[in-house]
Amino acid sequence: MAGILKPPGAFAVTPHKVSVCILIQMYAPPAMMSVPFPFSSVAQHNRFGLYLFALTKSCDDIMEPKLDELINQLREIGDVLYQWLTDQLISRLSSLSSPDDLFNLFSDLRAILGGADLSAVDDEQVVLDPNSNLGMFVRRCLLAFNLLCFEGVCHLLTSIGIYCKEALSSCSAYELPCLDDSSNELEALSEYENMDLENIVFEKVNKEIEARKKASEEVSFHLHAPKALFGLVEDIKVSAVSKSQGGDKCREASPSAHAPNDAMREFDSISGAFLRTNWQMQGYLMEQADAIEKHGSSFSLNAFELILRQLQKLAPELHRVHFLRYLNSLYHDDYFAALENLHRYFDYSAGTEGFDFAQPSIGCNSFGRYEIALLCLGMMHFHFGHPKQALDVLTEAVCLSQQHSNDTCLAYTLAAISNLLSEIGISTTTGILGSSYSPITSIGTTLSVQQQLFVLLKESFRRAESLKLKRLVAANHLAMAKFDLTHVQRPLLSFGPKTAMRLRTCPTNVCKELRLASHLISDFVSESSTMTTDGAFSTSWLKNLQKPMGSLVLTQENVSGKDSNAFQFCAQPSSIPGSVLQLVGSSYLLRATAWEAYGSAPLTRVNTLIYATCFSDGSSLSDVALAHMKLIQHLAVFKGYKEAFSALKIAEEKFLSVSKSRILLLKLQLLHERSLHRGHLKLAQKVCDELGVMASSVTGVDMDLKTEASLRHARTLLAANQFSEAAAVAHSLFCMCYKFNLQVENASVLLLLAEIHKKSGNAVLGIPYALASLSFCQLLNLDLLKASATLTLAELWLSFGPNHAKMASNLIQQALPLILGHGGLELRARAFIAEAKCLLSDPSFSVSQNPEAVLDPLRQASEELQVLEYHELAAEAFYLIAIVSDKLGRLAEREEAAALFKEHVLALENENRQDEVDPLPSTP
Amino acid sequence: MSSKESCRNELRSAIRQLSNRCLYSAAQWAAEQLVGIEQDPAKYTPTNTRFQRGSSSIRRRFRTNDITSTPVAGVSYVSTPVMEEDEVEDSDFYLLAKSYFDCREYRRAAHVLRDQTGRRSVFLRCYALYLAGEKRKEEEMIELEGPLGKSNAVNRELISLERELSTSWKNGTVDPFGLYLYGIVLKDKGNENLAHTVLVESVNSYPWNWNAWSELKSLCTSIDILNSLNLNNHWMKDYFLASAYQELRMHNESLTKYEYLQGTFSFSNYIQAQIAKAQYSLREFEQVEVIFEELLRNDPYRVDDMDMYSNVLYAKECFSALSYLAHRVFMTDKYRPESCCIIGNYYSLKGQHEKSVVYFRRALKLDKNYLSAWTLMGHEYVEMKNTPAAIDAYRRAVDINPRDYRAWYGLGQAYEMMHMPLYALHYFRKSVFLQPNDSRLWIAMAQCYETEQLHMLEEAIKCYRRAANCNDSEAIALNQLAKLHHALGRDEEAAFYYKKDLERMEAEEREGPNMVEALIFLATHCRAHGRFEEAEVYCTRLLDYTGPEKETAKIMLRGMRMAQSSFPPMDVEHFPP
Repeated sequence: MAGILKPPGAFAVTPHKVSVCILIQMYAPPAMMSVPFPFSSVAQHNRFGLYLFALTKSCDDIMEPKLDELINQLREIGDVLYQWLTDQLISRLSSLSSPDDLFNLFSDLRAILGGADLSAVDDEQVVLDPNSNLGMFVRRCLLAFNLLCFEGVCHLLTSIGIYCKEALSSCSAYELPCLDDSSNELEALSEYENMDLENIVFEKVNKEIEARKKASEEVSFHLHAPKALFGLVEDIKVSAVSKSQGGDKCREASPSAHAPNDAMREFDSISGAFLRTNWQMQGYLMEQADAIEKHGSSFSLNAFELILRQLQKLAPELHRVHFLRYLNSLYHDDYFAALENLHRYFDYSAGTEGFDFAQPSIGCNSFGRYEIALLCLGMMHFHFGHPKQALDVLTEAVCLSQQHSNDTCLAYTLAAISNLLSEIGISTTTGILGSSYSPITSIGTTLSVQQQLFVLLKESFRRAESLKLKRLVAANHLAMAKFDLTHVQRPLLSFGPKTAMRLRTCPTNVCKELRLASHLISDFVSESSTMTTDGAFSTSWLKNLQKPMGSLVLTQENVSGKDSNAFQFCAQPSSIPGSVLQLVGSSYLLRATAWEAYGSAPLTRVNTLIYATCFSDGSSLSDVALAHMKLIQHLAVFKGYKEAFSALKIAEEKFLSVSKSRILLLKLQLLHERSLHRGHLKLAQKVCDELGVMASSVTGVDMDLKTEASLRHARTLLAANQFSEAAAVAHSLFCMCYKFNLQVENASVLLLLAEIHKKSGNAVLGIPYALASLSFCQLLNLDLLKASATLTLAELWLSFGPNHAKMASNLIQQALPLILGHGGLELRARAFIAEAKCLLSDPSFSVSQNPEAVLDPLRQASEELQVLEYHELAAEAFYLIAIVSDKLGRLAEREEAAALFKEHVLALENENRQDEVDPLPSTP
Repeated sequence: MSSKESCRNELRSAIRQLSNRCLYSAAQWAAEQLVGIEQDPAKYTPTNTRFQRGSSSIRRRFRTNDITSTPVAGVSYVSTPVMEEDEVEDSDFYLLAKSYFDCREYRRAAHVLRDQTGRRSVFLRCYALYLAGEKRKEEEMIELEGPLGKSNAVNRELISLERELSTSWKNGTVDPFGLYLYGIVLKDKGNENLAHTVLVESVNSYPWNWNAWSELKSLCTSIDILNSLNLNNHWMKDYFLASAYQELRMHNESLTKYEYLQGTFSFSNYIQAQIAKAQYSLREFEQVEVIFEELLRNDPYRVDDMDMYSNVLYAKECFSALSYLAHRVFMTDKYRPESCCIIGNYYSLKGQHEKSVVYFRRALKLDKNYLSAWTLMGHEYVEMKNTPAAIDAYRRAVDINPRDYRAWYGLGQAYEMMHMPLYALHYFRKSVFLQPNDSRLWIAMAQCYETEQLHMLEEAIKCYRRAANCNDSEAIALNQLAKLHHALGRDEEAAFYYKKDLERMEAEEREGPNMVEALIFLATHCRAHGRFEEAEVYCTRLLDYTGPEKETAKIMLRGMRMAQSSFPPMDVEHFPP
C-alpha cells in the first residue's frame, strides 16, 4: 500500500522447503553417531551438507525447484545414497495426509537443533548449530510454520500433494496411495495442458520466425551495399543460420522459457511453483543485471522479459523487477520502454530499494531518493546519445542531491557529468551547469570546458574519497588518467602568482593514476556485498552437479576425487566482485590506449593481451571487443592484412551479436586501409562513407567516429590526387577539432595537411604544417606520431633538391630508432625509401663504393610493402632497386626488380581501371 | 426504435427469465429500464404517473433538443423473438437448487443439480460452480497474500467449466446464457478472441442480458475492436454502444446515443446517471448537479455513481450538501467503495486529510482496482506533503488505467513539488497527450518550464498559448503570456495579450490586481508609442482604483496633457509677437 514499505525478507513455508527440512533431518538425525546411518564416510556426509547449504543459497532462478528436479540433483550427489535418500524423502512427503502430520513433522524438526549451550552435548552426536546456515534455515522454517494460520496449513498440505504428484507422474516407479482425493483436479490440469498443445506449437513456430527475423536483421545492419562489402573480405561468410541456432541455445538455457502462453503460465504457477526467498530472488536479479550489462544486446530480450513479467505477476511489490526491465530495454536500445520502466521503478520504490551504496540510516529516507532517479535518467539519455537532455537532467540531480544533502549521489552525479563532458564534444562553456553548482560558478565564467571538466573530476574524487566509495575513487583515477593523457594542464586561476609550469602532458601522472586505480583490487574487501558471492558460489556448485560428468563411468572408487575436482574447477568462489574486476580490467585497457598514444607498440600489445586473457570473462562484451580490435589493428599494421583479416573472422564470430559493434568499425577501417594501399579508390570512398554513417547525427556525439571518417575521407581524396579537395576537407576537420578541443587529432590532421602539400609538389607550404604537427606531438608526448612527422619533414626537405639531402638525412637518422622499434610496416618502408633516396641524391655518396647501404634498406622496404600490398610505394622501391642495379651492372637483379616493378604498376592500373569500368564494385 | 409496448413486453419476459437463472444484476438492470419507459397516461392512475414524472421540468430545461420522435435514418431493427422457456414445469430439484443459490450456498446448489439435463438447470449448475470458484478465489487471495504482494489465486472451476461449455458449444446444445457464461470463463482465462465471438453470439441470440453486454464492453479496448463486432441491430445495441463510447472517452457520441435512447426510456435512472457521467467528463458541473438532484429525489437510496456527484459537490465546495450525501450513503450501505469515497471527499473538503486517507484506504480494501480512489488518495497525500506516498498512489492508478490523465497530472505535480521540474515534465507531457483540451494541464506544464531551475521561457509561452486557446476558465494564461512577453522585451505581443486579457476581464466583470497591471502597462505602452488618446483612456480607468497606481496614473495624465498643450505654445514662443 502506498507509502508503507513492507518488512523485507518475509519467509513462507513451501513444499520445497519442507523437503529440504526433511533432508536436513536426514543429514543430522537426532541421537546418532558421528556419521549417521546411510553415510559411509565423513566426506560423503560433508558433501551432502554442502549440497543442502547450496540449496538454501543458490540464486539461479526465481522459482523453487520441483520435486523431480530435486531428485535428479540427489542422484548426482551420491549414487549409492540416491536410492535411499529419495525413498525416504518421498515416503515422508507422501505420508503427510492431514494437517496434524505437518504439525508433527515440524515438532520433530525442533529436536535436531542443538540447545543454546553446546558444551552440554557430547561429541559423538551430530547436532545442528542453531546459528549455522542450516540451523538458521530450520529455525526460520519453524517460525514461519508457527505463524501460519489454519488456512495456511491447509494450503501447504494441498500444495505438497500437488508437488509430489507432479514428480511422480513423471517417474512412474512410485505408487502413491494416499493422494486420491486431489487427483481429479490434477488430471483436469494435465488434460487442460494437452488441450493447449496446439497453441504451444504455434507459439514455438512464431518464436522461431521471430528469431530468424532478428538474426537476419542483425546481419544486414544498416549498410546500403552490405553484400558487396562483406563479399570483399574473402571467405568471411556471415550466415543467418548459425545465428538463429545461437538464439535457440540462448532460449534453452533460460530457465522458464518453456511456458510460452500467458494463460498457461498462470496455471503453471498454481500447480506447484513457488517463488524463492526474497534474498535468493534479489541475488538472482543482481546476477541477471550483471549479465545484461556484460552481454549487452546479445542478451536474449524476450526470454528474460518473460521471466520478469512472470515475476511481476507473482510478486507485484518487488519493484526491482521494473529496474531490470529498464536495464533490459536499455541494452536493447528500446528508448520508450526504458524511459517508461525507469519512471515506474522510481515512482514505486522512491529510490530506496536495492541500492547498496546508500545506507538507509542517513535519514533522508522519508523524502525518498529521487535524485537517484535523475542520475539514472541522465545516464540513460547519455546512453541513447542525447547529451543536451542528459546534461539538463544531471544538473537537476546535482541540485536535488545538494538539497537533500545526499553526498554519495552527488559524487556519482559529478562523476557522470565529467564522463559526459569527456565523451562529448562541447564547444561553449556557458550554461553547462547553470547557476546550480556553486564551487564551479564561483570561478566558472572564465573556465574552458576542459578546465571545468578538471574541476568536476577533482570535486567528484574528493567526495568519493571522503565517503570511502572505493569503486568510485578507482573510476575517478581512471577518468583522471584519461584526462591527463590528452590534456595539457594549465593554471586554473588567470591571476595571482603563477608557478612555473611545463606546458606538456605529463605521462608520469597518467601512470600514477593508473596505478592508483589498480590498488582497488587490494582494498575492496570492506565493501563487498556477501550476498552475490555467497549465492553465486552456491549456484555454480549446483549447476556443476547437473553437468553431465565424463567420469560418471568410473563410479564408486572415484567419488571423492570427483568431489575435489568439481569443487576446484567449477565452483571456485570468486572472492573478487565483478565490478572490481571490471574496473581493474579497464585500467589495463586504458594503459594499452596510453601506450598507443605514446607510441609503444609492444607495450600496447602486452597490456591488451593481459586484458584479453585475464579480465575478459568478467567484463562487458563491448570492452572485450575493443581489446580484440586493438590486437587486430596491431596485426594489420605489423603483419599485413592477410593475418588481420583471418583474425577478424574469428573475432566476428565471437561478437556477432553485439550491436553497435566495434568489430564492424574495425572491418571498415581495415577495408579502407587495404583499398587505399591497393589503389582501389572507389571502394575506399564507399567504405569511408559507411564509416561516417555509423556516427550519430547529433552534434558533439561520436566525435571520434566523425573525425576518423573525415580524416579517412581526406586521405582518400589525397590518394586520388584531388589535392585541393583533400586540403579543404582537412581544413574543415582541423576547424572542428579546434572547436571541440581535440588536440591529439589536431596533430594528425596537421600532419595530413603536410602530406597533402608534399604530394601536390608544394613543399614550401607543407613545411610549416609539419612543424606545427611536430610541436603538437611534443606537447602531448606523442612519440610515434612525432617520428612520422619528422619523416614527413625530411621528405619535404628532400624534395627541395640535393642541397638539402644532408638535412633530410639527419632528420631521418633522428627518427629512425623509434620507427624501427615501434613503427608499423608502412612507416618503416617509407623511412627506408627516404633513407635510400637521401643517399642517392647526396652528391658525396657514391653507389659503387657502398651499394649495400642503398640496396639493403630498399630491399627491406620492398619486402614490407609487398606484405602490405601497397602497390604504389612498392613500385617505387623496385624502380629504385632496378636503377641502382643497373648502375652497378647487376643485370639479373635489375631484370628481377624491373619485373616486379611492372607487376605492381600493372596491379595498380588494374585496380584503377576496375574503378572506371565498374563504378559499383560488387563481389570479386 | 421498436414501439414502447414491444420493448415493455420484451423486458417483462426477460426479467423473468433472467431471475430464473439467478442473473440478478441483469434482471435488475432490465427492470430499471422497464420502469423507465414512459407509461401510457390513459392506462395508469395519476398518482402513478406523478411519481414517475418527478420534476422532469428541470431536466427538460437542460435537454438541448427533443429527439423523442426522430428515428435514426437507415437503421432497421431486428426483432428477436422472445425466448420460450423449455422447462415450463419447474422441477423440484431446480426449485431446491435455486433456493440454495439464493442463500449463497453455491456448491450445494450445484450438487443438487448434478444430474439435471434441462438447459436452465445446466446453466444454473455451471453458474453456481463459477460463483463458488470466484468466492474461493477471493478468499484465497487474502489467505495466500505473500510478503511481496498478492498471490495470483485463480478460479479453480474454470478448467472444468470451460471443458463442459466448449463441448456443448461445439455440439450446438448451449443456450445464450450458457454462451454468456462460456464467454466470461474464456475472458478470465485470457482467451479474449474466442470470448469476443462467444459473447457476440450470446447477445445476438438473447439481447436482454445486460451482463453479457458489459462483459463485451470491457473487451472493447479500442474503437477498431468495437467497429469490428458483428452485432444485430437490436435496441439494446444502442445501450451497448453508448456505454462503450463512454469507455473509449468519446463523450459526445455517447451523449447523443443516450439522448436518443431517452426518447423511449425517458424515465430511466440509468440513462440519467450515464448522461451525468458524460457531462462530468465534459466538465459541465452545473448540469451534472441538476441531474443528480433529480436522481436522488426519485431514487433516494441509490449508491451507484454517487461518488461522481460527491466530486461535483467537492469541486463546487458545497460543504453541507456533501455532508448530507455522505450521511445518506453511509446509512444506506457503508461498505461500498463509493460510500467510503464520498466520506473521504467530505473530509478532504474539510481539510482533514488523515481521516480522508483512512476512508480512501477502506475503499481500496473493498476494491483494489477502484481507480478514482487511488487518484484521490494521491491528492490527499500531496496535501499532507507526503510526496513519496502520493507518487506511489498515483502510479498505481496509472498502472490500472494508463489513460487516466488526472493521475499523470498528479505525478507531475508531486515531482514539481520536490523541485524536480525536468523530471515532472515527462508526466505532464503524458497528461496533456491524453487530454489536450484541458487548459489546467497546459498551465501546469508552462509553470514547470517557467521555474527558476529550468527557465525555458519560450517553451512556457508555447504552453500558455495552448492553454489560452482551450478556454482557460481561470484566465491565468493570458495574463502570464503578457507578462512573459513583457519580460522578454516583446512589448507589442505583451500589449496584445494585455488587451485581450482586459477584454476578457471586462466581459466577465472581474476586477483585481491583474486589471490594474494590464491598465498600467497599456497606458505606458500607448504613451511610449505616442497613442496619447488611448493612453488617456487607460489612465482615466486607473483613476477608479486606489493605491499607488492611481497616483502614477495621475502623474502620467498630467504629463501627457502638459506635453500635448506645450507643443503648440513652443511654436508660439519661437515666434514672439
